[in-house]
Amino acid sequence: MQLNYGLVSVDDHVQEHPGVWTSRLSRERWGERIPHVESLPNGTERWVVDGKPLGLDGIATAGAVLPKRTDEPQRWSDGRREVYEPGERLKAMDRDGVDYSVLYPTVAGVAGESFGRIADPELEQACVQAYNDWLIDEWASTSERFVSQCIAPISSVEAAIAEVHRAVGKGHRGLVFPSIPMELREVPHLNEAYWDPLWSTLEELEIPLCLHAGASASIQAPADENLSPILAETFRAITRPASQISIFVDLLLSRILLRHPRMRVVFAESGLGWGAYLLEFTDHQFEEDQVHTEGYELIPSEMFKRQCYLTGWYDRAGIQNRHFIGLENILWSTNFPLATSSWPDTKECLAQSFADVPDAERDQILWGNAAKLYRL
Amino acid sequence: MEIKFGLISCDSHGQLDRDAFTARMSKAKWGDQIPQVVETTTERGEQVDRWSIAGKIQGTGPFGGGVVNCPAAMGDPTRRTHPHRWEEVPRKVYDPAERLKALDEDGVDAEVLYPNNPVSNFSFAGDPDFELDCVHAYNDAITEYRRVSDRYVPIAIIPYCSPMETIVAEVTDAVRKGAGGIVLLAEPSLNIPGVKPTNDPWWEPLWSTCQELDISISWHGSAGLAGKLAVPAWKGYTRAQAHTSSTSRLCATPSQLIPNLLLSGRLERYPRLKWVCAETGLGWMNYVLESCDHEWERRQLWREGFETRPSEVFRRQIYVDFWFERAGIEVRDLIGLDNIMWESDYPHVTSTYPQSWDWVERTLEGVPEEDRRKLMCDNAVRLYKLGALSC
Repeated sequence: MQLNYGLVSVDDHVQEHPGVWTSRLSRERWGERIPHVESLPNGTERWVVDGKPLGLDGIATAGAVLPKRTDEPQRWSDGRREVYEPGERLKAMDRDGVDYSVLYPTVAGVAGESFGRIADPELEQACVQAYNDWLIDEWASTSERFVSQCIAPISSVEAAIAEVHRAVGKGHRGLVFPSIPMELREVPHLNEAYWDPLWSTLEELEIPLCLHAGASASIQAPADENLSPILAETFRAITRPASQISIFVDLLLSRILLRHPRMRVVFAESGLGWGAYLLEFTDHQFEEDQVHTEGYELIPSEMFKRQCYLTGWYDRAGIQNRHFIGLENILWSTNFPLATSSWPDTKECLAQSFADVPDAERDQILWGNAAKLYRL
Repeated sequence: MEIKFGLISCDSHGQLDRDAFTARMSKAKWGDQIPQVVETTTERGEQVDRWSIAGKIQGTGPFGGGVVNCPAAMGDPTRRTHPHRWEEVPRKVYDPAERLKALDEDGVDAEVLYPNNPVSNFSFAGDPDFELDCVHAYNDAITEYRRVSDRYVPIAIIPYCSPMETIVAEVTDAVRKGAGGIVLLAEPSLNIPGVKPTNDPWWEPLWSTCQELDISISWHGSAGLAGKLAVPAWKGYTRAQAHTSSTSRLCATPSQLIPNLLLSGRLERYPRLKWVCAETGLGWMNYVLESCDHEWERRQLWREGFETRPSEVFRRQIYVDFWFERAGIEVRDLIGLDNIMWESDYPHVTSTYPQSWDWVERTLEGVPEEDRRKLMCDNAVRLYKLGALSC
C-alpha cells in the first residue's frame, strides 16, 4: 500500500459507459433487453434495462464535476471524463487528495439493485457478470488505487454465491448488495437462514458486505410534489443516508451477525450523524424490551462494534461522537461524483471535521480502518 | 406556576377517563359508535376491557397490550404488566388530581400531555362528522387537565377530514380552553385518503393560526410514518424483538421529515411558528442539521431562494426532546442549547418514571449547570409559557 495523501475513499461511483453491456451480452440472444442507451425525441438520452427505463435523473451521475452541481448530464456527450474514464478519475483523485477509491456502481444501481428486478434469472446473471467483468477489465486493471467490488444476482442464493466466487477470483474485494432484495423479486426475507450460505461465503472469502444507501425508495420519505426539482433532489440526498437507519436496526436485531461473527458489513453513504444515537437507542430499547433474555449473546452496539462500519464525508458531530460509534467502525469517503461529494474541497472538509482530533485517530478513520478491511 | 424541582417533561401521555367521550358526544346521534371502554373476549378466550371506536375494538397494537398503555405506572419493574380491566388502571394515569401526586413523587414540575388510548395519530379519521365530534370531545376532555392544574400542558388534536375553517376553529377553541399546542401527522396525506399534502397552500391558515395563537406544532414519534419507511416486517421476530426493531427506528423517522419542513420554506414564511419533535430522541438531529447545511452549501441553495442556512432556521424554530441519550447530549452545542428539552414519557414502557432524577443525573453527567437548566426546564418554560424561569 502506498499513501501519498492519507485518504482511502470507501464510497465512490463508477459510471458505466454505453457499451458495457452491449459489447458483452449476446445481441442474438437478448436483443433490445440488453442494458443500453436510447435517444428520446427531445434530444436527451436515457438508460433502458430489459425494456424498462432506469430511474436515473440523467444519462450519468456527475453532479460534482458539472459547472452547476444540481444538474445531471442528459446526453452521454455532456458527460465528464472524470466520471467514466479511469485515467481521468485518477487525476481527479490526485486533485482532491485521495489515495484509493472503493468503487460502487451507478447504472447497475448505487446499491447493486438494478438487475435484481429483471424477471429472467439468466438475463440478470448475464448483466451482473458483464458489470463485474467490465469493472476488472477497464478499472481495476488500470491502477491498484481502484478497489473494485462486485455485484451479485439475487434470483437465488446459489446464483449469488457462484457469482461472488467467480468475481472474487477475478479480483473483486467487496460485495455490493441491495439491502431489501425481497422488494426486487420474490425471494426470502434477508433475515431468513436461506441467505446464510452467502454470508458464510463472504466470511470465507474475507470480503465485506456493502449496503449502500438508496437501495429502496420504500424506506425514504417521498419528496413533496411542491418542491422544485432541485429541492426535491436535495431532499432525497438528505433522506437517502437516513434511510439506512431502518436497515441498520433490522440487521442488529436479525441475528445474522451472531451467526456470522467474521462477516463485515459496510453501510455506505450512511453519514455518521445518526450512528451514536441509534446504537444508544437500540441498546436502550433492547434492554427495555428485555430482548437480551431471548438468546442474544451480544447487545446491538457490541455486534456493531465487532462487525460493522459507517461512512462519513462531511460529518462533524459524528466525529465528535466517534468514541460512542467506535473508532474502528468509522470509514471516510468523498462520495465522488455525486452532487453531495466533498470533491474538490475534501481537504477543507477534513480540516473542519477533524479540527480537534489527534493524528492517530484521524489516520485510523481516513485510511487505517479501510486498509485493514480491504487488505490494501 | 411555581418551579419547585426544575424538571419539566415535554412528552407525557395524558389518559382520559373511560367516560370522556360518552359524556361529551350525543348518544342519539352516534349510539355505540362513540369511543368507549367495552368488554370483549381475546383470542385466548379471556374476558378483557378494550377501547372501541365506531364499534371497532382497538386491538393490542404494537404498544398497547391492555386497555390503557401505562406499563410504567403498573409497579412491575420488567414493565410487562398491562391493565386488562379498567379497574386495574392506576388513577395516577387518568385522574388529573391523582396524577399530580405522581409528578411530585417523580420530582417533575409540569408535563406536556400527548394522547393515550384510544387516541393515536389519526384514530378518528373517516366520516368527517364523526371525526369532528370525537376530536372536539377529546380536546375538551384533555384540556380539563389544565383546568385542574397549570402544571399540565395539554396538546390538542385536529379533525383532518374537516374543511380548513373548521380545523382552525377547533384549534382556536382548544387553545382557549387551555391547549398549549397541537400534534400533527408528519404527512397526513400519506395516511388519510383525500387530505392535501402539507406543502399545499391549503394548510396555510393552520400555520398562520398557530403562529398567531403562539402555540407549537408537534410531531410525536414517527408521526404516522413508521410503518411506511420500514424494512418489510420479518415474521421470525418475537414480539419484543419486533418492538425494539420498530421503536429504535421510528424515533429517528423525523430525520426524514424535518428536511421537508426546512426545504418547504414554511418556517421562513412563518418565522415565529414553533415545531417540536417529541419522543424522538435528539441524537439524529445533528445528522439532519449537518446534512441540510452540507447540501445547502454544496448545491448553493441560496441561489434557489433559500437565504437562511437550514441550521439557523432550526435553531430559531424547532425543538427536540431527549430522555436517556448521552451521545446526543455530547453534541448539544451542534444541535442548539436552546432547542433541547427533557421528557419522561410517563406512563409508557420507556418512561424514566419513577426514577426520573436518576436518569437525568446519568444523562447530564458533566454538563454545566447553566446548560442543564436550559435542557431540563428553561427551554420548556419559555416555549410553553410556564411562568418564571428556574434560574
